[in-house]
Amino acid sequence: MRKKTLAITIFAVLAMALLLVPNFAAKAQAADKLGWVGPVYKELSASLTEGFKAYYKKTYGKDVDITFVRPGGWPVCVDKVRIWGGKPDADIFLGAGAPAHEVLKQDGLLIPYRPKNWDKVPAEWHGMKVKDKDDYWTCFAPWIVTNLYNEKVLKKLRLPPPKTWNDLLNPIYRGNIVHTLPYASGTMHEAIEILIQGFGEKEAWKYLRLLAAQLARFSTGSTDTTNLVKRGEVPIGVAQPQMNAMAARKDGYPVRDLLPEKTILVPEAVALLKGAPNEKIGKIFLDWLFSMDGQKYVLEGRYFAARSDIKFSVWEKEGVTMAKHAEKALGVDSFWDLDVGFIEYDLDLATKRWDEVNRKYEYEIYRKWGELKSSLFLIEEVEGEIQAAKAQKMKVKKAEAKIKEARKLFEIDGAYAAARLAASKARALLVAP
Amino acid sequence: MTRGNILLSTLLWSIIAFLVLYPLSILLVESFKIAGTGGWGISNYLEFFKDTYYLKTFGNTLFLSTLVLLTTTLFGIPLSYILARYRQRGKTVFTALILLPIVLPAYAGVFAFIIFFGRFGTVNLLLIDMGLIKEPINFIYGLHGLVFVQSLHMLPFIVLSLSAGFTNIDPCFEEAAEVEGASGFWRFLTVTLPLCTPTYLAGAVIVFLWPFTDWLTPLILGQVDFLPSVAYINIAYHFTDMHRKYMGIVAVVVSSIVCITLFLLARWWVERKKYTGLSKGTTAEGRVIEPSPLVKVGSYVYMIFIALLVLLIPIVLGLAAFSRRWVLEPFPSYWTLENFRLILLESPGLIMNSFKFSLIALLFGIVFGLPAAYLIVRTRMPGRDALDFVITLMLAFPGIAVGVSYLLGFWKTTPVPLADYWIIMALALFARRLPYFLRMAHASYLQLDISLEEASEVSGAGKIRTFFNISLPLLLKGVLVGVVMFFIMAFQEISTAIFLYKGGWETLPIGIYLNWHRGMEFGIAAAMAFLMIVITFILLLIISRISGGVLKAAWGPGGT
Repeated sequence: MRKKTLAITIFAVLAMALLLVPNFAAKAQAADKLGWVGPVYKELSASLTEGFKAYYKKTYGKDVDITFVRPGGWPVCVDKVRIWGGKPDADIFLGAGAPAHEVLKQDGLLIPYRPKNWDKVPAEWHGMKVKDKDDYWTCFAPWIVTNLYNEKVLKKLRLPPPKTWNDLLNPIYRGNIVHTLPYASGTMHEAIEILIQGFGEKEAWKYLRLLAAQLARFSTGSTDTTNLVKRGEVPIGVAQPQMNAMAARKDGYPVRDLLPEKTILVPEAVALLKGAPNEKIGKIFLDWLFSMDGQKYVLEGRYFAARSDIKFSVWEKEGVTMAKHAEKALGVDSFWDLDVGFIEYDLDLATKRWDEVNRKYEYEIYRKWGELKSSLFLIEEVEGEIQAAKAQKMKVKKAEAKIKEARKLFEIDGAYAAARLAASKARALLVAP
Repeated sequence: MTRGNILLSTLLWSIIAFLVLYPLSILLVESFKIAGTGGWGISNYLEFFKDTYYLKTFGNTLFLSTLVLLTTTLFGIPLSYILARYRQRGKTVFTALILLPIVLPAYAGVFAFIIFFGRFGTVNLLLIDMGLIKEPINFIYGLHGLVFVQSLHMLPFIVLSLSAGFTNIDPCFEEAAEVEGASGFWRFLTVTLPLCTPTYLAGAVIVFLWPFTDWLTPLILGQVDFLPSVAYINIAYHFTDMHRKYMGIVAVVVSSIVCITLFLLARWWVERKKYTGLSKGTTAEGRVIEPSPLVKVGSYVYMIFIALLVLLIPIVLGLAAFSRRWVLEPFPSYWTLENFRLILLESPGLIMNSFKFSLIALLFGIVFGLPAAYLIVRTRMPGRDALDFVITLMLAFPGIAVGVSYLLGFWKTTPVPLADYWIIMALALFARRLPYFLRMAHASYLQLDISLEEASEVSGAGKIRTFFNISLPLLLKGVLVGVVMFFIMAFQEISTAIFLYKGGWETLPIGIYLNWHRGMEFGIAAAMAFLMIVITFILLLIISRISGGVLKAAWGPGGT
């Protein structure tokens, strides 16, 4: 009898649970809704959610439910909005730098909106655009493309921090560097743009191939890179948002950022999506985001605030926890006080070749990583042998010409197999000229 | 063949058709689409087998599978022999520990091992501090690390199947060999091992399929040139590049085909062998040997070694969960509850979602599984074997295939746009974990003597009344084990859910993935994984209470 009761109870409970299912769904309908899509870090989305919910409740006496879709880095998010094709599952594109927003603007997937206090964000800074003159996107959290290193591990390995882009190619760093794919991270994409626009196309791809041979591994995204550097697994991370070092140091990790000699500003921006289901609330959010209250939540979310009328020292007195850390990280009282120089950055060009750069890197370097390394290592070996042969006064002219050809095949053409063949031929020429 | 049975059969088949056959066939159809033209053809497949990159990933995956199988077999043979044959103290504890990885999420293991065996992980730092090495040793990043992590995760399947084999062998076969003068080792090689082949194969095929399913471990270790990882990246990161998406789907279909073919081959082979060899009944315990002291010590050392590796997972994750800033020190020095505060106070939704989806999936599982077991065991409906077959096949399907097919089959442009509602999460978990409950219900039904039910019916109770009054109470024990097992497996599911979740639907495993991938604090991911282990462990305790022994609990579905 007891067993029977038990069985009936179980079934009754299950049946009740089934009845409750529609209730779950109904509960969500009561509050107003807002949807974000974008690549911002979790700390920022959590902080903004908290701040905007409180603001909305106070001002409108109602709750707002915020959903946040974060499929991956900038390009992944852009692709997500593209596939929604004007019927987005979100209202706001939150985060990512200028080219991502320009791509969406040109695809006709954004609508212009000028939030309140828009004029408090500078239009340009050291030659870099900070907001769109047609109001499609506005920067709410500026930062600079940096590299990251773990000082504790570098000290243990007795390595100096790499100061410039070219320092990274030094053989002492081989196996101690990590970065991700440009498709997985907008910061990496921008780093490649910096190299292309700063050194010229040919030099940049040559550099990227040589840098790839220095990597310990590819990370799966810029956060993965940060985590690997923070925990010391790989001491140097390439292409990192500037504020990551601040956030990691705040958490007590021995991490520092490096401004390479050629870099750019990334105006982490926000935009209203075309066909947004909750356009009205989206606009309320944008207005709030650029208010002093909203900007404080940006900083508490571990991004630098964008308004030019902000002083970290004032905010520190007002009880903004991150203000102290921001001041310490930047060494100035407002982000815009930073004294930096940028390369001449052509935003239109970057927008135009957005997909092409991602694709080229993936197909020519990432997918052939093993081949690339074995090819370069062989070239280096043979080059060493030629040097040794020279020291013994052997005839090396032909071999030298051949290995130069191998280098060119590797660096300029990216023909790794052909380069390895040429290197083998050079080695043969060394033995029997 | 009553009308009720026909109705029931139709109902169950239509559920299977809707939730399994329909999405999987859409998956197959999509793989033949050609991007940009709207046409159809096999060109995607041709490209897959011509493109050096895809071919390389396919080859890599096969190679990895082989290595994992070899490693698990090599370590599994002595282990299962010790567990099955030697009389030893603490056998139950060791068995439970060695079988633990079955219920631990695979990704939890990876996190623990990169903390412990990483370049500047605990082991390397201790070795450097002791002055034994100068440069850190690469224990974990690379193929060898992948083989290690996946092998440890799959070892229980080999141990389960082999020790079942060792136990079931009729002792007289071995005694005969010994009487004829075969030495212990020679006897083991020529008699014992061949007799175990059928049961071994059942486990081996599950092990071999794992690298075709597990996309996350290679990704975390930075090794992405494997079929499931490439498929995941192609499908989950790219939305507008249709060609790439179709190639991803082709990769999923190819892995599914490999999985199912091997699964069926092994099944066919096992069934065939069963009828030719082991006909005679045996003692319940099988043959038990009292080993010599030396062998005994050796076997203890061996068992402790494996058990320690398994125990590392909860221990290391526990350390990481209760600490932060664990950098360049063998053990953490900064202890905090911050990680748990963040999980419990700021995102309790993840835990809620996990319970909600798994419980609803479980509910579907019970409502579907019990009648299905009844139909398969108790009736002679045509098609019941096919039903059993289809459901069992879900064991072999990669989770990524279920996820992608649900995404395609229930997308908003299809006639059934379920992907817009969170119920799809529960439905997908139900479809993916279906066999786990059904197998238990099935097995309990087989043990239930039909005469009890017949007596009830003769006395005038209807079929439904008999089921609720007689069958269900008697089945309860087995069913409850199935319920908990199903829940554990649904709770840790990630491969399917990752494709279907939308903002607000994140489960605990997805939270772990996102916190590792998008969050700044590694400790939170570790704390979440630790929380999962704790929840799983509590559930395991519940099963062991019900069915007496963790071993049996894990055995049920694992052995299939």
